[in-house]
Amino acid sequence: MNLRTSFAILMCKWCRALLRKLGRGGTDFPGKVALKICPDILGRVAKNVKVVIVTGTNGKTTTSRMVEQAMRDNGLSFFCNKSGANLLSGVTAEFAVNSSTWSGTCKYPYALIESDEAAFKAISKYVDAKVVVVTNLFRDQLDRYGEVSHTLENIKIGISHLPQATLCLNADDSLVASIAQDAPNQVLYFGVNTPIYKERVKEVSDAPYCVRCKHRYVYDYVTYGHLGGYRCPNCGYHRPTPQVAVTEVISSDAEQSVVNIAVDGKEYRAVINLPGGYNIYNACSCAAAGKAMGLDMPTVIESLSTFECGFGRMEKFPIGKTSVRMILVKNPAGCNQVLNFLSNASGPVLFTVCLNDRDADGTDVSWIWDVDFEKLCDMGDLLTAIYVSGVRADDMALRFKYAGIPLEKIHVEKDYGKLMDEVTDQEAPVYIMPTYTAMLDLRDKISKKYGFEEFWEK
Amino acid sequence: MEIRICHLYPDILNLYGDRGNVTCLKKRLEWRGISCSVDEVSVGDSLQASKYDLFFIGGGQDFEQGVLLDDLKGQKTAEIKAAIEDGAPFLAICGGYQILGNYYRTWDGQQCDFIGAIDVDTIGQKERMIGNYMFTCDDLGGEAVVGFENHSGRTYLGSGVKPIGKVLSGHGNNGEDGFEGARYKNVFATYSHGCLLPKNPKVADLLLTWAIRRKNPSFELPPLDDALENNAHEYMQKRLSKVES
Repeated sequence: MNLRTSFAILMCKWCRALLRKLGRGGTDFPGKVALKICPDILGRVAKNVKVVIVTGTNGKTTTSRMVEQAMRDNGLSFFCNKSGANLLSGVTAEFAVNSSTWSGTCKYPYALIESDEAAFKAISKYVDAKVVVVTNLFRDQLDRYGEVSHTLENIKIGISHLPQATLCLNADDSLVASIAQDAPNQVLYFGVNTPIYKERVKEVSDAPYCVRCKHRYVYDYVTYGHLGGYRCPNCGYHRPTPQVAVTEVISSDAEQSVVNIAVDGKEYRAVINLPGGYNIYNACSCAAAGKAMGLDMPTVIESLSTFECGFGRMEKFPIGKTSVRMILVKNPAGCNQVLNFLSNASGPVLFTVCLNDRDADGTDVSWIWDVDFEKLCDMGDLLTAIYVSGVRADDMALRFKYAGIPLEKIHVEKDYGKLMDEVTDQEAPVYIMPTYTAMLDLRDKISKKYGFEEFWEK
Repeated sequence: MEIRICHLYPDILNLYGDRGNVTCLKKRLEWRGISCSVDEVSVGDSLQASKYDLFFIGGGQDFEQGVLLDDLKGQKTAEIKAAIEDGAPFLAICGGYQILGNYYRTWDGQQCDFIGAIDVDTIGQKERMIGNYMFTCDDLGGEAVVGFENHSGRTYLGSGVKPIGKVLSGHGNNGEDGFEGARYKNVFATYSHGCLLPKNPKVADLLLTWAIRRKNPSFELPPLDDALENNAHEYMQKRLSKVES
């Protein structure tokens, strides 16, 4: 027993309980308090816990929810961080509240931690990760993370703290796959062996030039963004063969995807409980994490059809005559993937974007001009209307105007209450793409107005 | 009449949505019934600058800059300089702005030479200047321009180069002298992302007017309905005015 550790844990628990009593979902503040009292608290409470870390730019939360289901179905005793508490303070708080106040030790043998890619190098100093999943690297909130090569360096530093961990790396991402080169770790690659979409949005590649020698890559195929079968004609760097691979996309609709996943040459049919090509990658990375943990593979594959994500990841709210789906967006790559999925819709769709520019959203909204919203024009009459909201609704309206969307289809409604009234007063399914803080505000509005539960109750 | 736009290094200098400027120029010509073509000229392509009426160059990631500089310093430098001296309108943003200048010197003294098409120098600093900002535009009678800056380089203007205007909110060229951007002949160089032109339609039309008047000196651009453009502009102008007052 260590008094300082105990005091830090106690205060962390108190702060969290108090915040929840006040009806706030505060996830970072209790951790900050604990860190103030005992700066190395995370190292103390995470001692002897076997940790799985999921990091990367996009798909962290969804992948974590998939892995969570797989761990649960495999009967592991663990806890995980939720609700975007993925910075050092949030992760610290999760460990602290799941630890015994008096002994200072964690109550669970395992933990599943989603880590912000910039915070990873700090978190990895203190936790003993057995498995690290790196989903992908895209440009994201340049005002906060800087350019993508900078994020790659940060992840490499984080991994250098964890030489014993098995790395699950995205083979199709030339940046992520390059991590293996200098790392002594055991590596497990995952990837998609085939193109996913018949037609894709026009995208800027975030990594057109070889990460090793700066020559332009040649691609055998592209799944989306800079992901796919790349090779460098100059130095020979190329996509490694993944041990966990999606070999065939059998079907993909508005509710789910059905794919074949090969693990060590053995094929499994997987039903993925979320639509969109990016979720095929998330499922594949979950299978890789399952293999790295030595879980029963048929059980892991089964989990992909039963897991629930929520919290703005294709989260569904039946409201009035329609259903509202919320899809968090934060960068061009993620947003383009949603458009890839949406623009292939077979029935009418009402589309909404809520753009905020607070710190957690990224203060620079320039990125909306890197998204191929022009693709929505191909939908013709299937796109019934576009609503824009959020702090920067005017910028978003302008983006749609220049994308060539007819002006009579573009509606600006900055009041979330009125917005919800209008979009649910018709029958076409509603897809809302909010940025992070817009999602929090909107969920709050929806839960109060229509009686859905608050996220921290889950 | 057709306006031919040259988009330089679109696949490398492609950060922060700057390509929206090209979309904006193109649309604002099309809406007025003026045809427009955009050629993308990148590494390995030969540049015939006399073919074009307007040039655009944006900002990019440091990682790819090496690839680009070798290419730029070949045949393209002379073509770009000749086009600028000839009065071709040139919109350059952030990294593109710096590249047109003489050099970039890092804070620890390493110097990277650029093409010297306009007499400006850039010195790198450890701290980045990031945020929404606003400045006046002398070519528009002092009207406000809004945008987003994100740069660690501090740019200083040489003789013969004027600023675009004064900083009203934010940092501008170097955070010291209170000026933003560089004007030389018909070069309009700025740190402003945002994306710049869609929410500053008067700047877009200024560049288009310069481009068209090289062919037809008395041409007046017909007005457009800029209600959405002005909403976005006014929102940010108000927000930044509040911060300053």
